[in-house]
Amino acid sequence: MSRYYEFFCPVKVIAGHAALEHLPYELTAIESTRPMIVTDQGVRAAGLLDPVISACQESEVTIAAIYDEVPPDSSTTIVRDIANLYRQQQCDALIAIGGGSSIDTAKAVNILVSEGGDDIAAYSGAGVLTRPLRPFFVIPTTAGTGSEVTSVAVIADRERSVKLPFTSSFLLPNAAIIDPRMTLTLPPHITAATAMDALTHATEAYTCLSKNPLSDAYATAAVKKIGQSLMKVMDNPGDEQGRLDLAEASTMAGIAFSNSMVGLVHALGHATGALTHLPHGLCMSLYLPYVLEYNLEEIREPLSELLLFLEGPEVWTATPASRRAEATISAIRHLRDELHHHCELPRTLRETGKVQEGQLDQIARQALDDGSIIYNPREASLKDIQEILKKAWG
Amino acid sequence: MFEKLSRSAGLRARRHYVQAMFRFMGHALEAISQVDRKVMDDARLLPNGLIFQMMVLPSGPSLVLEHTGEGRLRYLGPNYDGEVDLSIRFKHMAHAFLVLSFQEKTTEAFANDRMVVDGDISLAVRMTRVLDRMESIILPRLIASRAVKEYPDDLGLLQKVPGAIGVYRRVAFSMLRDLRKEALPI
Repeated sequence: MSRYYEFFCPVKVIAGHAALEHLPYELTAIESTRPMIVTDQGVRAAGLLDPVISACQESEVTIAAIYDEVPPDSSTTIVRDIANLYRQQQCDALIAIGGGSSIDTAKAVNILVSEGGDDIAAYSGAGVLTRPLRPFFVIPTTAGTGSEVTSVAVIADRERSVKLPFTSSFLLPNAAIIDPRMTLTLPPHITAATAMDALTHATEAYTCLSKNPLSDAYATAAVKKIGQSLMKVMDNPGDEQGRLDLAEASTMAGIAFSNSMVGLVHALGHATGALTHLPHGLCMSLYLPYVLEYNLEEIREPLSELLLFLEGPEVWTATPASRRAEATISAIRHLRDELHHHCELPRTLRETGKVQEGQLDQIARQALDDGSIIYNPREASLKDIQEILKKAWG
Repeated sequence: MFEKLSRSAGLRARRHYVQAMFRFMGHALEAISQVDRKVMDDARLLPNGLIFQMMVLPSGPSLVLEHTGEGRLRYLGPNYDGEVDLSIRFKHMAHAFLVLSFQEKTTEAFANDRMVVDGDISLAVRMTRVLDRMESIILPRLIASRAVKEYPDDLGLLQKVPGAIGVYRRVAFSMLRDLRKEALPI
């Protein structure tokens, strides 16, 4: 039987030098005159709003409102507050500037301001939205989550102590604007963790059950860019081309995994993040080599192919075909060690200092029920997951 | 003309097959939740009273189960039309047939976007595991390997055969009871 797959990505990508200056044109093209910015304090303090506002002012586009207090773990209350501000100021478009939290928050705000009401929980789940939302633009300031091209948002409901997932293609923005200026000032440990997040998105997209020829193309291109640029940027954070490569890699990995899903690394990462609040990118970096080792015999062929993109043609040809999959894992381990050397990015759960050994069993049980586990090539049992966690503990 | 008729008969047969398989699976899941420790352990963590549905869109055959507590599942019959808490819906009869005729594994069907989940995804993962365990026990290894992602290494004949006999016995009894009920005038 021939393979079946689906692939969807309608997001316009505006990337490269002076990309931010295209935003006013995009806004006027849809007749938006009162856009609202959704961002966080860190982005504002780093001065990342200035080039956006200045680009708009120069083209006579006025930003009608700015909400700059999105926390790292956004909630339904914040979504409601921003939606109220949007309505009070009679805004007509949303611009998310930031990392995963600001982008997810803006996606949820767009649901409320388009569909009406104050209760975002009513729109939680898959397939609830049935029509396009208001104009929405995303300017990522990290290079890892890929949220600018994914049709998912997660918002915490603190009253009920649950995380609400929202899934709909209508959450996708009209355009994602990738400008290297937005990631130039990213601190080294965040650059490292978010790049490992993107590498994990691409690797899992390329090796898990829902892989397909189109997502493969994006995944391999992302791995290649990360392999070529990550250490260059770590050595020289002001490398504008390297920064752009990582940001593009993140977007490509986002397109890949939103069409072919992710596996056990993410199941473990989601459980670890929920229980210990360890940053998502760091979790990915910690678990990736161990999960690849666990899946090895099921993914030997695609993993061998990834060596070409990660390490380049010379290493690939010099490595015997039967050892290429193992060499890919070694290359990822080496990358992780290099990042530890550069910015002390933890290599083991123990090194994070934020996880107790006693929490491992709970992480394993929660990972077993995570939605991503369905797409993992191997059927991981509780015992298998406990073994992986033991190795990742260090 | 003949081609059209035979095609229509083929589609009807496919629908009946899916209907029959859903009914069989409903009884089998109820039965296995009474005899298999692993299924009980997995199902025990489902909320009490949870109504789970597997169906074919838009209004095709369905299988509905209730978790009655302590990991026990109860089959609610093919005609249940009340509220459901968790639903796995095949987009088309052809997709349900692929899975129920063991041409496509349940996890492959997820990966191929054949199904949509409505409800808590973690509970859907748990129910998929229960379904896989049931198939591993009641089907011959060769067929079960086509239905589940990975046939369990630790499932030996000593565990499989008595488990399968227990399930088939209970399913046969339940289906006979259904037939009797359907045959009796109201």
